[in-house]
Amino acid sequence: MAAHSDDPLQHPEVQQASVFGYTAGFLATLALLGAALLLTEGHLMPPEQLLGGISGLALIALLAQCFLSFGLDITSHNIWKSVSLILTVPLFILTIGLTVWMFQQLDALTMIPGASVMPGMTMQPTLLQ
Amino acid sequence: MAVKIVADGKLPPLWHYGHEEHDVIASKTFGFWLYMLSDALIFAGIFAAYGVLDHTMNAAGGPTEAQIVHPIAAFWQTIAVLSSVFAYSLATVALKHGNRLGLMLGIVAAILLGGVFMALELKDFADLYAQGATAQTSGFLSAFFLIIATHGLHMIFGLIWLLVMLAQILRLGLTAPVVAQLLNLRLFWQFQAAIWVCVYVFVYLKGAI
Repeated sequence: MAAHSDDPLQHPEVQQASVFGYTAGFLATLALLGAALLLTEGHLMPPEQLLGGISGLALIALLAQCFLSFGLDITSHNIWKSVSLILTVPLFILTIGLTVWMFQQLDALTMIPGASVMPGMTMQPTLLQ
Repeated sequence: MAVKIVADGKLPPLWHYGHEEHDVIASKTFGFWLYMLSDALIFAGIFAAYGVLDHTMNAAGGPTEAQIVHPIAAFWQTIAVLSSVFAYSLATVALKHGNRLGLMLGIVAAILLGGVFMALELKDFADLYAQGATAQTSGFLSAFFLIIATHGLHMIFGLIWLLVMLAQILRLGLTAPVVAQLLNLRLFWQFQAAIWVCVYVFVYLKGAI
């Protein structure tokens, strides 16, 4: 912080609060999740495409929250938050992705095809597939 | 790289304890931000478990995902949690302008809307238990309840924190430590909305595909 102030309300992180940013973040997230709900309830695409579509909408909603709600950017008071988030996202993806991939391999190599579905069970698309 | 030499021939200090430009508020919020990122990795572990256990075989003859998720009902929860976060975010705009009444009204609105979210979630849990769908029924339901309840526990902690901040504002005013706590609470509360986006899409919507 280059400037000095004894008033905590003048701190850059207090001053970054924005009615426009928060309103846009709220409305964008709500609209994107509403669109994902409509796509899902309408079954407008094949299951795999639908899963990809709603995942994409979720990603856009998360990006909107990062920029509009959290207010992340490359200004001096936010840059290390942005950098630490960027460095954490791969860990998040690796944790989920590698775990699911590992069990997908286990399922494919150890289960008798069709044996996991007992009579009367219905199959849904899962992340393992 | 050019090194700046000061007048007496010594290098400038890299750090200085008690330096006058040390930003106490930024240090606290950055430390809390790192804590939130580690909290996100806890959710990553839970989502990974859910991704593995979300399989018909792991329903163990009990209800499957499609039979227990209700995306439209959960959308009301989505509206409640996003509105609560929005209300608190607007409260911090009032903080920016030194408007203590606006700040407190925003916090009260956030508490009420967060309470609505929790009431809807607990009703959903009660309905599932009434149908015999408990966390002990199957591996899939264990993961389902774990992911929802972990987010719910965060919400409960956040509601308590909001109440504590109301008391602190009344008792201490807008001092530097109180302002730092309000900023940390903003990070925490906005984080709950981000996690809910993942929960809603990858649990409720995916379950209805």
